[in-house]
Amino acid sequence: MSTRLSGPERRQTILSQAQRLFAEKGFHGVSIDEISRAVSVSPAILYRHFDSKQELYDAVLQQLACQRESYVDTVVNSGTNFEDVLTGMTHVFISSVDENPNLLRIEMQSLLDGNPATSEFFKNRWKSFTDYIEFGLNQSMPYDVPNREITILSAGLMFQGMVREALLQKYLQPEDRLVDVSMSELSHELVRLFLRAIGIEKSRLSRKAVISS
Amino acid sequence: MCEFDAEMDATGLACPLPILKAKKAISELRAGQVIKITATDPGSVKDFAAFATQTGNELVSSTEEDGTYTFLIKMLA
Repeated sequence: MSTRLSGPERRQTILSQAQRLFAEKGFHGVSIDEISRAVSVSPAILYRHFDSKQELYDAVLQQLACQRESYVDTVVNSGTNFEDVLTGMTHVFISSVDENPNLLRIEMQSLLDGNPATSEFFKNRWKSFTDYIEFGLNQSMPYDVPNREITILSAGLMFQGMVREALLQKYLQPEDRLVDVSMSELSHELVRLFLRAIGIEKSRLSRKAVISS
Repeated sequence: MCEFDAEMDATGLACPLPILKAKKAISELRAGQVIKITATDPGSVKDFAAFATQTGNELVSSTEEDGTYTFLIKMLA
């Protein structure tokens, strides 16, 4: 078998190594030379596939976007009540990070890099949650609740903060006390506490609707 | 443009809201009827194709114009 890679195979190898390096060091922390070395090709070969570091970075992002988690299964196959859908979405989101923790690392790097394309991409991933929560609460919360608008906004933030922090602690800075807790148990409990905080009891939510780890 | 029996606007909404609204909307349709759905989330192209397959209905068309995506889904069952 030949060790020479075809064009598409070479391109894929470059993308995989670039994803790993961008995740570890951020956009500005990696040079084309370093990526070339990781793929064992000359920078000239790499430039045949990507015109610039920015173009390579965009392609890495594009590939992540194509693997974007889909909530279609969750919505089609679960109930349509607020808690079931939120639980299902949380499971899908967490599984995507579990399968590829580089997603989380690139998100953290991009917050400081200030790359518009990346911020937009990651903002949209969270927007699924905040939009869903805002939409659900807008429908269910009585209109005379004081500070209604800010309460609804804060609920979205609260959920995003909980889930993001759980992912950070689990995948980026593993804490001893969390080592034995599975991500499915953690997310189940976070969703339950969140629902209670916003006044929804999740009694109807069966355990089997949640995440099998 | 093909004729349709119902219309649903999901512009400005992020997944899964368009899918959720579509699921509710199609439950009120009969076999043979067509629903027109508009959305702006770029992910909706893939999502509505998967939605049609998973619900056993037909995605008649999927088009884009100026950032707005239009889908026609025909109820088969």
